[in-house]
Amino acid sequence: MRRGKLFRNQATVWPYLFALPFVLAYAVFQLFPVGYSFVLSLHDWNGIGEKTFIGLRNYVDLFTKDPLFYKSLFNTIILMLMSLPVMIILGLLMAYMTFNLLKGRRFVQTVNFLPYITTPVAIGFLFSFMFDWQTGTVNELLVRLGWTEEKIYWLQDPFTSRIVIALMIVWRNLGYFMTIYLAGMTAIPQDVYEAAKMDGSTGFHTFRKITMPLLRNITVFLVVTSVINGLQLFDEPKLLYGGWSGSAQVGGPENAALTVIWKFVDDSFISNTQFGYGSAIAYALFMIIIVFSIASYRLTSGKGDRT
Amino acid sequence: MQQTTKKWLVTALVLMLAVTLFAACSGNSNPTGNQQQNQGNSGNTNTNGEGGSNDSADPKQMTATIKVWDWDETFLQEMIPEFNKVYPNITVEYTIVNPNDYLQKLQSGIASGSDVPDVILGESAYRGQLFSLGVLDSLEQAPYNFDRSDLLDYLVPLMSSPEGEIVGVDQQIAPAGFAYRRDLALEYIGTDDPAELETLLPDWASFIEIGKQVKEKSGDAVTMLPGVGDAFIAIRGQTGSEYIVGDDIDMTARYTEPLQTLFELRDAGILGKHELWTPSWSASMASGENIFYPMAPWGAKWHVAANDPDGSGRWGLVKAPGGGFTRGGTSISIYKDSKVKEAAWAYVDFMYLSDEGTKISYDKFGFTPGIKSFYENNTDLIEAGSEYDEFFGGQNLTKYFIEKIVPDVTGEPQSKYESIVDGVFMTLYPLWTKDMEIDAAKALEQFKTDVQNKSRSAKVK
Repeated sequence: MRRGKLFRNQATVWPYLFALPFVLAYAVFQLFPVGYSFVLSLHDWNGIGEKTFIGLRNYVDLFTKDPLFYKSLFNTIILMLMSLPVMIILGLLMAYMTFNLLKGRRFVQTVNFLPYITTPVAIGFLFSFMFDWQTGTVNELLVRLGWTEEKIYWLQDPFTSRIVIALMIVWRNLGYFMTIYLAGMTAIPQDVYEAAKMDGSTGFHTFRKITMPLLRNITVFLVVTSVINGLQLFDEPKLLYGGWSGSAQVGGPENAALTVIWKFVDDSFISNTQFGYGSAIAYALFMIIIVFSIASYRLTSGKGDRT
Repeated sequence: MQQTTKKWLVTALVLMLAVTLFAACSGNSNPTGNQQQNQGNSGNTNTNGEGGSNDSADPKQMTATIKVWDWDETFLQEMIPEFNKVYPNITVEYTIVNPNDYLQKLQSGIASGSDVPDVILGESAYRGQLFSLGVLDSLEQAPYNFDRSDLLDYLVPLMSSPEGEIVGVDQQIAPAGFAYRRDLALEYIGTDDPAELETLLPDWASFIEIGKQVKEKSGDAVTMLPGVGDAFIAIRGQTGSEYIVGDDIDMTARYTEPLQTLFELRDAGILGKHELWTPSWSASMASGENIFYPMAPWGAKWHVAANDPDGSGRWGLVKAPGGGFTRGGTSISIYKDSKVKEAAWAYVDFMYLSDEGTKISYDKFGFTPGIKSFYENNTDLIEAGSEYDEFFGGQNLTKYFIEKIVPDVTGEPQSKYESIVDGVFMTLYPLWTKDMEIDAAKALEQFKTDVQNKSRSAKVK
């Protein structure tokens, strides 16, 4: 009888014990920093001296006195809008073409996936060399082809700098989008296609009426995760503007490439050392991400899913 | 009912996904991280008494372990054994830290109470921020008792905290003049002699006049300076003043005139279009598109010889029109909560102040220390020249820096806003290079707005 009770007790203890390492690690490395940074956001602190409690002043300053915050948010959204539709459309098309390839499918898949696993620093190097206005290969090519006489100042014009960043994002992530779509296509049962064929559907019609609707969940996933990632954009613009060298420019021309996370890093560690204000930016962004995630989910998922 | 549950479940999942991704990203927000961190030991086998120092009668026998964060490993590897010849019982543990990450790493070290060096380096790019953090000891107090009049005069403001205390000594002085291509100067200006060039180019007005002639003679192929950034380094450095007082930043008083000079140079077409530190800027030294490059003593090795390896003999050094200025430079300070202050000071004193140590580092690395006595006591050493003199056509670089450039260099007081002003300039000048419609007045307005946007607590005028 006693043994039985002990056994029962053990049975209830073990699962908790096994879960404990993760829960502890999560509490120490995730939950605590998340909570602590909220506490920090209510303080004025340079990371070293005394913390001064200032209530919500960091948030008030952020929303009322910091034009750069709005600018960085605007930039981030613009960059997302410039890159996300391209990645979705191109990713889907390329996946469809790759899916129907008879030969070399794996090769095409690998080649397209490579940029995704390339280290961002290398991508930063690559693009800043390519688009350097004096020695860059892009300008060299344009001049040799006779398409332009004056070399284009790619990285120092607000508009073109955003194009270059969007291009970096697309180039880097296209392979990932393609792979996810490919996985989705593989999961569509062949008999659906066969039935469609029997009914006389071909080519683009099949793609539009069968493939695309059946991939909707994949699209929802990609859009929602991309919006979340997109709002945290940092690597590409930072590395394009000399993140790898000593002379880092913050924000690019007229701050056209300053994203929210870049501003957060700059205010916390580079131009300023305001940890409290940095935390307030992080929390503000967190709220914005929640709103955008829900909105993008509602927009992309069809009515059927939501009821 | 089930549908409502499902809806909530999906929303909750999306939220969780958002939280996890966001948390993952914020953990990654450190842009560069530690690029290299090698821990080395001085090779001294005596590690007794780690962490503490004792007050034995002979300070040279004190036993301690000190931590140094530095980026110049070659210097440390040569100099620490020399230091240990004098202080055999002080173990130096050094960590190589990239200057770009230095301040961030130091802050996290101090905030978390984990790892803080006893000897702290302050590169000019982040020195203002470092000095205003209040983590450095005043070197004029015990146990250091350093006398500020030992420093070269222009260094005093550069080594002072916002409270006016001396908190650092100079690693090596960074007064700057113009390095120039002798071949181009001879061809287009008519002389490659530093003394004659000094007379021909006493001020910026004459620099512009001669620049225009050079431009014409070379058929627009050769410009005086590589770009707006280079010109501004000189103009800004020559006009240093205390324009940041507390939270007031007087940009108008500080930058109206320098920007006017800068835009006169730009509009005269005598500046190239290179941005500082870019590959094309580096390549221009060898290709011969520009005659002059701002250069401090460290630039002979790291700029000129590095970018024009085959250019030995074709370079010269001349004072800039309008006088000397400073470029870069690194301060050496001691952490205020260090447990081994005496030992740390012994290190700083030996490496950067003592006659013995500075002679060795001058001899091996051409490092010119920031104290007056070195130049008074070692005239023979300076006369003998240094490693890169050959590269500069046999010109005695140290002598020229000390005699011609140092006397009229002024140092600008350091403030936490300084790096914001610097950062804003770095972002703006490429636009000024590109957009000829921006004039000095517009540029000043842009400059002020951007500095204000980045320093909310300050009053910019």
